[in-house]
Amino acid sequence: MSELLKFSPSPHIHTSRTTPGAMAHVLIALVPAVFCALYFFGLPALWVLLVSISTCVATEWLITKYMLRRPLSINDYSAVLTGVLLALNLPSNLPLWMVAVGAVIAIGIAKMAFGGLGCNIFNPALVGRVFLFISFSAAMSTWPLPDAGFGDADGATGATILSLVKMGQSTAEFTPQDMILGNMGGSMGEVSAVAILIGLVYLLVTKVVSWHIPGAILLGLAFIDIMAGYPVGIDIVSGGFLLGAVFMATDYVTSPMTKRGMLFYGFMIGVITASIRRWGIYPEGMSFAILIMNGATPLINRHMRPSRFSPRQRKEVAV
Amino acid sequence: MRNTFKKGGIHPEAHKEASRGIELLKLPRKAVVPLSQHIGAPARPVVSKGDKVRRGMLIAENSAFVSAGLHAPISGTVAEIVPVALLWGKSTQAIVIEADEEEHRADTELRQEYWANMIPGESDRLLSERLSPEEIRRKVSEAGVVGLGGATFPSHVKLDVKSEARPEMLIINGCECEPYLMCDDALMCAYPGRIVEGVELMMKAAGIGKAVIAVEDNKPEAAASLSAALDSAHDISVRVLKTKYPQGGEKQLVEAVTGRRIGSGKLPASVGAVVHNIATAFAVWQAVATGQPLIERVVTITGDINPQERKNYIAAIGTPFNEMPFTLPASPKIIVGGPMMGRAAVRLDAPVMKGTSGLTVLDAGVKPNVRACVRCGACVDACPMGLEPYLISTYGRLRMWDDAYAAGVSDCLECGACSYSCPSYRPILDYIRVAKQRCKR
Repeated sequence: MSELLKFSPSPHIHTSRTTPGAMAHVLIALVPAVFCALYFFGLPALWVLLVSISTCVATEWLITKYMLRRPLSINDYSAVLTGVLLALNLPSNLPLWMVAVGAVIAIGIAKMAFGGLGCNIFNPALVGRVFLFISFSAAMSTWPLPDAGFGDADGATGATILSLVKMGQSTAEFTPQDMILGNMGGSMGEVSAVAILIGLVYLLVTKVVSWHIPGAILLGLAFIDIMAGYPVGIDIVSGGFLLGAVFMATDYVTSPMTKRGMLFYGFMIGVITASIRRWGIYPEGMSFAILIMNGATPLINRHMRPSRFSPRQRKEVAV
Repeated sequence: MRNTFKKGGIHPEAHKEASRGIELLKLPRKAVVPLSQHIGAPARPVVSKGDKVRRGMLIAENSAFVSAGLHAPISGTVAEIVPVALLWGKSTQAIVIEADEEEHRADTELRQEYWANMIPGESDRLLSERLSPEEIRRKVSEAGVVGLGGATFPSHVKLDVKSEARPEMLIINGCECEPYLMCDDALMCAYPGRIVEGVELMMKAAGIGKAVIAVEDNKPEAAASLSAALDSAHDISVRVLKTKYPQGGEKQLVEAVTGRRIGSGKLPASVGAVVHNIATAFAVWQAVATGQPLIERVVTITGDINPQERKNYIAAIGTPFNEMPFTLPASPKIIVGGPMMGRAAVRLDAPVMKGTSGLTVLDAGVKPNVRACVRCGACVDACPMGLEPYLISTYGRLRMWDDAYAAGVSDCLECGACSYSCPSYRPILDYIRVAKQRCKR
């Protein structure tokens, strides 16, 4: 034999799915939300987006090259994804240096300090957002009013539905149409329910995420809302609920491994979110709910294992 | 709704591209017959250097209860009994037979005649009624028949069902769930009547009143030809299952057919089932009805080779693989068996053995980078045994053998569904195998 044969243990074929491919699918699914952010909030939104992405990628590049001295990992698109998600969680009028600080915290502290992709306990983009929210509460709670049509926002600001509700004021100024399309104040990416739902459909069709987490979150939220007598529909389209349920809570790394675990994790996120919104001091609770359940994920993985292949005690199918 | 097993499983691309016909592969002039082609004790040679042997003659006998005899695949002279290297590099003792021109020509003629008379036809029910279970088992044992699905467990042992077990159902595995391979499919399409007769002989030998032939729904021709060979007088039925890998796994197959699950470390007999491969049923028929011992089998040659070269051959045991007609791709990886569980070959001057179902020739190309585990859970969803492959794999890598054992590593089938489905291309199964080996000891 003159030819050299390749050799490796089985299996010798492989699914065509890849980790960078999954990240790319999520980025594609975010396109409608990004488009809506630019449409409603104009040029400032673009700057926030660009600063967030570039700072995330640069931070990961610097850390892998000069601190960890490991092969570069930015080509898996996960840093880009964190940058986009962080930006979509911020108000478009946030000073750009704050955006950069949030991005450094997201990648540097929440992701790379834990060992990089796959090792982090908490969702990096949410850690960045919550860090900014706690550090710069005023700037993070000033919501520019949307100015549809890619125009420069004129600097007008206003309250979100959730903050109006929290202050006990009327939300009658928002029509259901505004709420669904996103013509209301809020973070860049969270305002348009339609855009996020298009992304969800894309993720479900490409099988990047399963229905379990978003579905269970919805169930948990509805459960508390119905108990509290609050309209579920408004709670779904307001605040970061959809963005969180579709893009943040479904992060592979920080969510449970089994479908059973995912259902519990999702349900609890819904319950905590609605509880904070109804009875907490903050108007919004999605970020906190996801981070709390991120922290519980290792515990869920330990206690909600897959059921092993073993004889069933109950019915036996007749032969 | 068609049945399949419930837990895990994957759907790799089938690539069942070989032509469904079966061709006779030319007999070799020199056959290499390894003494250990089955699970159990190696056979003991009964010939020595210089002896003349005739095709089909016993050349090595059972050396223990769990063992199988070997027969000369060609007529000729025993050239030597020496260690030879197998496809995956392991060295083992083998009998080498060389044929001269005349012997080769005579064998070829006899063989052509034998296969030309193998016309699918009316089944000879009298055969299984005439013979006693002991006689059938003796003939199967004398013919050196082993499980042809890959496990190569001696069939006469498996057919000798202890009376206290009293199994209710014989399940014949015609799933061929491995991608690429088509040897069983081809056999079911070509000789359904003979397979049915083989199944009847097995039922008689094992004392089982009912048999089910399980075929996946991606082989409709095979299922149709088997159904056509059956009539209401048979206690045999064809069950079409929803295609999913690894359906041919014993536990998965029994669940798919009966709905019953075999416990950890238990055999199918614990739920009243006995599982045999479809090719074994054909070999049993050959042994009992025609008297031909297991000296040839159907072998698929397929993969990234010329489409015209993707074929099923009847190859004599002992035929070196480099006598098979196929061209190697640019970056060849040759797998003995299917791509999910088959072993990569390190050489091609090794012989076809009883357990060789085929060669899958892949153009391996460049292996993609292994990335970090992103904890997506794809391996957990894929595992047919309900294990946590990512976790056991990590235990294996960190040498935490006790934890691997507690996590159920000994249940692992090594089906490869976890490594297949990992989007980060992590060698999950490799580390699980290490842990499994360690826990066995």
